[in-house]
Amino acid sequence: MVADSRDARALRTAGRLNEPRPARVEAGFDGTPLQVNHVAVAVLREEWRVLDRWWTEEPVSRRYFEVVLETGENTVVFRDGGAGGWFTQRGA
Amino acid sequence: MIACLSIPGFELKAALRRQPSLATRPAALAPEAGGEPLVGPVTAAAAAAGVVPRMRLGEALATCPQLVLVDPDPAAAELAWEEIVRALEDAGFSVEPAALGVAYFETRGVERLYGGLEPALKRALAAAGAQWDARIGAAGRRFAALAAASVAQAGQLLVVREDEVDQFLAPLPLTLLPLERQRYDELEALGVRKLGQLAGLPGGAVAERLGPDGRRAWSLARGGSTARVRGRRPPAELVEALEFPEAVGNELTLRRALGAVVETALARPERRDRFVRKVALGARLVSTGSGGGGSWRRTLTLREPTADADRIRVALAPRLAELPAPVLELRIELVELTEPNGRQLELLAAGAEDRSRLSEGLRQVRASTGSGSVCNVVEVAPWSRIPETRALFVPRDD
Repeated sequence: MVADSRDARALRTAGRLNEPRPARVEAGFDGTPLQVNHVAVAVLREEWRVLDRWWTEEPVSRRYFEVVLETGENTVVFRDGGAGGWFTQRGA
Repeated sequence: MIACLSIPGFELKAALRRQPSLATRPAALAPEAGGEPLVGPVTAAAAAAGVVPRMRLGEALATCPQLVLVDPDPAAAELAWEEIVRALEDAGFSVEPAALGVAYFETRGVERLYGGLEPALKRALAAAGAQWDARIGAAGRRFAALAAASVAQAGQLLVVREDEVDQFLAPLPLTLLPLERQRYDELEALGVRKLGQLAGLPGGAVAERLGPDGRRAWSLARGGSTARVRGRRPPAELVEALEFPEAVGNELTLRRALGAVVETALARPERRDRFVRKVALGARLVSTGSGGGGSWRRTLTLREPTADADRIRVALAPRLAELPAPVLELRIELVELTEPNGRQLELLAAGAEDRSRLSEGLRQVRASTGSGSVCNVVEVAPWSRIPETRALFVPRDD
């Protein structure tokens, strides 16, 4: 019997780095986050948009915010323009 | 109760401290260099002559040919505002500054200290100082407090009880709401001129017609949210300045001076072990002829807290190109510092890792947590704009 040349276990367990995680975000009237996971935002540092894969059936449309929370934690959150909902993400 | 201390035309009043004789003459804050040619706040004499804030410069000068334009002095204004906020904090209030000339504070904690709401508010007015013509509005909600402060006279306290809020807000003009000019026009065209008229409309219909801004304005017209006041953390007081013997406009010289003041500020013993998160660069500018020289100030939040003089210098240097006039004095303020543990250090310093010990450590981790718990990161599309598609973590079982 000839074994499959691919390492099945590696394929099964390999994961994406910096996968988005759902977050509880309270946003202001202009869409900027005021609270992330029940912690108030102290400083909004940066904001940018990512529009990608618009040519596919799963386009990506996100509005990112880099914020500093009152606890001093620096975090990046985004709002998914397609499915809706907020996520935190590292490595953005 | 939430109280709102308001000082209308604060920037003009701060700029006039250097030229007090202009306070009784028709004067207005000059437009900022490079901005729209609209006049800022005006003195009472200018208002009597028909000049209103945000009027076009040409129109203002045509309306009142004697109008004196006062150069903005943002550094002096921020300094004066900081003095007022600190005076309030010294009097026991936990202050949340909203803008120059507007601050909120809770009275609940200090009412017993001063013997009631009114004495506490009087104490706050006294702390702000009589020369600023401050006024205070107090109510159960933030917007109602702001509205009360907006209609109060100089030196007056206006308290709106919770059951009087709707009645109090109803006859007030829509201009109290934070809306764009065209939104006011739109509402006026619909016959809505007072807060009470807007509050009486169905919220859904307002949101549909005016969008999220309109919905927020509608909510404010009904008194706004009961969000609590969050007192600020007082900023660090680390300022270093360099005065030049003569005005300097050469960017290269300014860059060198910037390097020197940054290093001096970082060497201050109060900064020891703490990293800089937010920094402000300010300058006193050479006189442009009409009045005394103005000032210039820019603040910058660093991407990562640092105590590295080179990184701060590199971050600030491009701002020097924005200076509108030659500089007499360059100053740097370390506005926000982290705690001594405010920055995460590397677990293993680069170059210091002992590979065999690391392998052994990984083997032990794998033994205790099972196969697949130690992974390699493999970059697959580092150019991608979608962060989760740039790299994979792949189990490492060697």
